Amino acid sequence: MENSSQKFDAQVLSRISTLKMTAMNFVEGLLTGQHRSRHKGSSVEFAEYKDYSPGDEIRHIDWKVVGKTDKYHVKQFEQSTNLKCTLLLDASGSMGYQSLTDEHTPKMQYALDLVATLSYLLLKQFDAVGLTLFNDKVIEHIPPRSKASHFQHILHSLARITPQGTTQIADVLAGMAERLPKRSLLILVSDFLTPNQDLHKSLRLLVSRGLEVIVFHVLHPDEIHLPFEGDIVFESLEDDFRVELDPQDIRDEYQKTIQEHIDSFKKDCNALGVDYIFQDTSESLDQALSYYLLKRKSLSNL
Amino acid sequence: MSLNYSSPLFLLGILGISVPILIHLLTRRQQKRISFSAVHLLAQSQKRSIKKSRPNRLFLLLIRCLAIALFSLALADPYFSFKNSEAFLTATPTSTVFILDDSYSMGAQAEKNSLFDRAQEFILAELNRFPEKSEFSLILASSPAQIEQDWTSDKTVFEQKIKAQALSLRTTNIGDAINQTQKLFESAGQEKRNIYLLTDLQRNGWKEETFSQIINTTPVQVFDFSSLQTEENKAAVQSIQVTQELLTQSRLLRVKAEVKNFSSNLMHTTFSLFLNDKVVKEKFIDIPAGQTLSREFSYPVRSHQPLSGKVQTSDDGLNTDNSRYFSFHPKQNIKVLVVDGDPKTISHQSESFYLEHALNPFSVSLSHIDPTVSTLAELPLRNLSDFSVVILANISELPPGYELEIEKFVLNGGALLFGMGDQISLKYFNEHLGNLLPVKLESHYKIPTSNAPLHLLLKNNTHPVMKIFSPKEIDQMREINFHSLITVQAREDKKFKVGAWFENKKPAVIEADTGKGLVVLFLSSLDRDWNDFPIQPTFLPWIQRWTQYSARGLNSIFKQNLLVGEPFHPNANSLGHKQAVRTPKGDLHRLQQDKVFSDTFQTGVYQLFNLPTNAVPATASLTKLPKGAEPAGTFTVNIDTQESEPEKITQKEIEGFMAGMKVEIHAPHSQASQSDSSEETPLATSFLIMVAGIFLLEGWMLRKE
Repeated sequence: MENSSQKFDAQVLSRISTLKMTAMNFVEGLLTGQHRSRHKGSSVEFAEYKDYSPGDEIRHIDWKVVGKTDKYHVKQFEQSTNLKCTLLLDASGSMGYQSLTDEHTPKMQYALDLVATLSYLLLKQFDAVGLTLFNDKVIEHIPPRSKASHFQHILHSLARITPQGTTQIADVLAGMAERLPKRSLLILVSDFLTPNQDLHKSLRLLVSRGLEVIVFHVLHPDEIHLPFEGDIVFESLEDDFRVELDPQDIRDEYQKTIQEHIDSFKKDCNALGVDYIFQDTSESLDQALSYYLLKRKSLSNL
Repeated sequence: MSLNYSSPLFLLGILGISVPILIHLLTRRQQKRISFSAVHLLAQSQKRSIKKSRPNRLFLLLIRCLAIALFSLALADPYFSFKNSEAFLTATPTSTVFILDDSYSMGAQAEKNSLFDRAQEFILAELNRFPEKSEFSLILASSPAQIEQDWTSDKTVFEQKIKAQALSLRTTNIGDAINQTQKLFESAGQEKRNIYLLTDLQRNGWKEETFSQIINTTPVQVFDFSSLQTEENKAAVQSIQVTQELLTQSRLLRVKAEVKNFSSNLMHTTFSLFLNDKVVKEKFIDIPAGQTLSREFSYPVRSHQPLSGKVQTSDDGLNTDNSRYFSFHPKQNIKVLVVDGDPKTISHQSESFYLEHALNPFSVSLSHIDPTVSTLAELPLRNLSDFSVVILANISELPPGYELEIEKFVLNGGALLFGMGDQISLKYFNEHLGNLLPVKLESHYKIPTSNAPLHLLLKNNTHPVMKIFSPKEIDQMREINFHSLITVQAREDKKFKVGAWFENKKPAVIEADTGKGLVVLFLSSLDRDWNDFPIQPTFLPWIQRWTQYSARGLNSIFKQNLLVGEPFHPNANSLGHKQAVRTPKGDLHRLQQDKVFSDTFQTGVYQLFNLPTNAVPATASLTKLPKGAEPAGTFTVNIDTQESEPEKITQKEIEGFMAGMKVEIHAPHSQASQSDSSEETPLATSFLIMVAGIFLLEGWMLRKE
């Protein structure tokens, strides 16, 4: 339930409005996707013929074919169902990074746009969309709903996010595995800047439960290129840890390290059959989404 | 083991490290703070990264500072001394008196330099080991010991003072030096006190009586430098005696010298006579161990010019005592006017007969006394300025008005000798010669023939005239019979000395300085009328020496051989001249009238000169002899050979002398002061190489960055 303060918070309302506009803007230009059910049954779209066997419904026998071939065949159809999708958004402190120069979109803003867009897209297809915000634990969980008004609900949650706390993705995913409906879609949006090595194990658990997992790895260009100059004290956004150095000294090494981190994570995801999408906030969100949806479509058509 | 510096002033250069520090601080970049997400990855990268410019910059700063410090250290010429640290040196500031033995025995050889040089180096090295705020003072222990530097905590000042010291030619007086420390400690600034005594422990320097006043309890660290002596002091020329053979026409100069062998072996040495800086005679002599050997050189003197020279033995561990100087003046004739107041036709009954023969026994000029006999009547015809001495023998009265001439003669420096006799008019003498006579002639005292004659009382007679007489000759003089004499009465306004006494406590000889001259009264006769002295063998030397003495010739004889530091009395033989002394090194000193010349610290022959009147202002210092300056004689200064005796004093004896003081005796080997020995490792080159290495490293780092 929304409380009054949230309702009348001008900043929250502004954010909601912006998110909504952004999401609608993106989605209207994209394909109107339909999700086909793995269950074959009564539907409008023919799938294939099957030899009749006792137990099949009589009404599915194609009598025209019986007339022509004198054999009993049963018509089978693709079943169109509503998808249940849960969007997992990392709301830890590290997601709050934004460039001092405001040159690129702040990481959290980019993630919010992404989540809002995906929510709108899915709801537009009458799929059920839920949202879970987490850092070292689940902060807020909105179960999947397919009502159009659910979008507002999601936007409200997104607008209230303040990035804080440390990231414990592995623990959160492990906890979520039990709560998420089987064979649903899980979209995980995070910067994955966590030293936790159990993430791979948690993802495998999710996949093994029949969940389709899509990972959006969002990083700010500063986090990739480390463009800073001079003596700098880097203070962690998540804890009190700090490092004092001249970025010039470690730039090459850092870039190498972060690339290794990305590559390693991507490799893990691919190994698990998890869709991995790397999102640099300097890239346009629509291009990234278009690219992803096209890729999904081409894969689903195989 | 300690680090010492030859030029510690350069250590100030270390302050130069402030320059790179300042530059570093001024050019330091402002540190920014950025909240960042991937800090752990940064830390991980930092660990893996080789390049760490910030530590590099700090490292560069460090090595630059190090380079400056090392360069300053290299300039300060450091060296490591591998010595044991002394327990008595603590971190507490101390008031330390350094007693430095600068006696000539410290000039003994210790490898390339002397013991004294080693002692100086020792002090300089030790200074660095004292904590800050320590104060130092310096006493030189040669006799008389003197405070050379009062308390100072400025090591640089003290170092300069130490370096400025030079070896003296005097003897040691440790007791005096220890006594001086008491004076210094009265004004010492630190509670912790220490005495460093640097000496060769020669027994001569330790006289028990000089320690009697010590009430000091300060610990004394005695450093025995004699252990550093590389060659022993084998011999010393202890004395020298110069005589002239008068009885031959050849005028032989006889130089007799005594040499002592200090070693425990038979010593073969050369023995050389130098005259006017040239070797004229040389002998090879063998001196038994511990014995003193006397050898005489004969050398013909052909000129009347003064001669100076020395006797020298072969070099040994201490060369200072291997030579001894002498000077010799061929005697100048003293012109004497003998006025006989009672000439007789029989010559041997006259005073003049005895006097003339006594003053010039061979009628040739060998005694250097040239007598001229005159009667009273002839006296006005004589020019008194031609004579140094006038002897008035048994005169009744002087020619009318001649008293003034005689008085003028004496006041201008002439000598007047009176001999008594029957002709003497007491009234005339007292009334007309009152200005000259120091006493009033009282009466003629004649000993009755029945009584025993009078004799001279010569016991403990130290008059210069009597110095050459042997005890046997003195005994002979005591046997002289006197039958008559003149008794005298003192005048209130006159001062006089009694040169000899009779047994009846009556004066026999009276002398008195009058003006620049001298008046001498022999209160008996100079012929055989009142005594039998003129026919005694001692009469001849006695009257000759009184004549020489009156002519101011004896003082210079007795004072011409001085020991180092003994004062020279300049007015002897000056006869009113302004005089100057030229030292063996050639420095000129003006002699002040009636003041002693005490700058006799060099050994050698000192030359006296009579300066022409008005030639040089009295206040002006002399740089060269003025025109017209005439040689007036010489005197020699030699070392006191007591200091040469190599015998060492023992620790037990020292502790006995310094009862109540904690005495520790150390060998200086374990301390500093051996700059050229293997115990010291110079570090300047190593430091410079390190500086070069640092510059190379810095260049490499900058290039890499």
